[in-house]
Amino acid sequence: MAEVNQLGCLFVGEGVVLKGNFQVPDIASISGVIEGELTAKQILIEATGVVHGKLSGESIDIRGEANESVSSTRSLIIRSTGKVTGSIHYSEIEIEKGGHLHGDLHNINPHS
Amino acid sequence: MSIFSKNSPPDNGEDKIANEQAEDYPETVSVSTEQSAPYEQMVRNELVNRPGIAKPSIISEGFTFEGTITSDGILNIAGKVRGKITAKSVLIDASGQVDGELNSEQLVIKGQLNGEVNCDDLNIGPLARVDGSISYKYIHIQRGSKVSGKFIKN
Repeated sequence: MAEVNQLGCLFVGEGVVLKGNFQVPDIASISGVIEGELTAKQILIEATGVVHGKLSGESIDIRGEANESVSSTRSLIIRSTGKVTGSIHYSEIEIEKGGHLHGDLHNINPHS
Repeated sequence: MSIFSKNSPPDNGEDKIANEQAEDYPETVSVSTEQSAPYEQMVRNELVNRPGIAKPSIISEGFTFEGTITSDGILNIAGKVRGKITAKSVLIDASGQVDGELNSEQLVIKGQLNGEVNCDDLNIGPLARVDGSISYKYIHIQRGSKVSGKFIKN
């Protein structure tokens, strides 16, 4: 995960707990716990990552847990270890077999 | 040498099993030859009763059905269904359209579905349009599908 250019990125390691609202211009990679809102261009919630709060971004990839609402303007992927509870707004969705989804699902642009 | 002595007892055991199977086999053959007619009938009945071999019920393209469908087997829907469907395995084809209530163990959606769904294994294909309240055990949604509604995992 240690890319050369980490400008505008947020990396939360396993065991780290962050509280507050976060605006990330580029990639947010979460292996720890976030309590609060998270907005980023690209969000990766790793298998150990947990977010309690609103998630919004262009591309969202969930291998861990998202416990409130998820909003993705481009693509949303819930992996087989992923667990999402709450409302979801998406434009393109993919759920791998074994993924956990509990809540309301809304398509942002249903007529495209 | 010790390795050989350790290995040899299981080998003998396997031989015994093989011998037992070999002994069993002629018996079954002799039974089938002695009572060939009833045995064949039994096999035929088994084939009919086995759900894996059962032919699917098909609602073809251009066909509209209104009412309740109940099946223990496989149901393929390429036409339109309005009503309640209960089946072991349901496939809604790309041209298929279902409005209503659907209960099944396995459900594959390639077409359109509006309504209430209760299933164990759900697979939503890339061109599917799904809207409704869905309760499931295992889910797989492929990229490109348009899905909205309430999802409940059992």
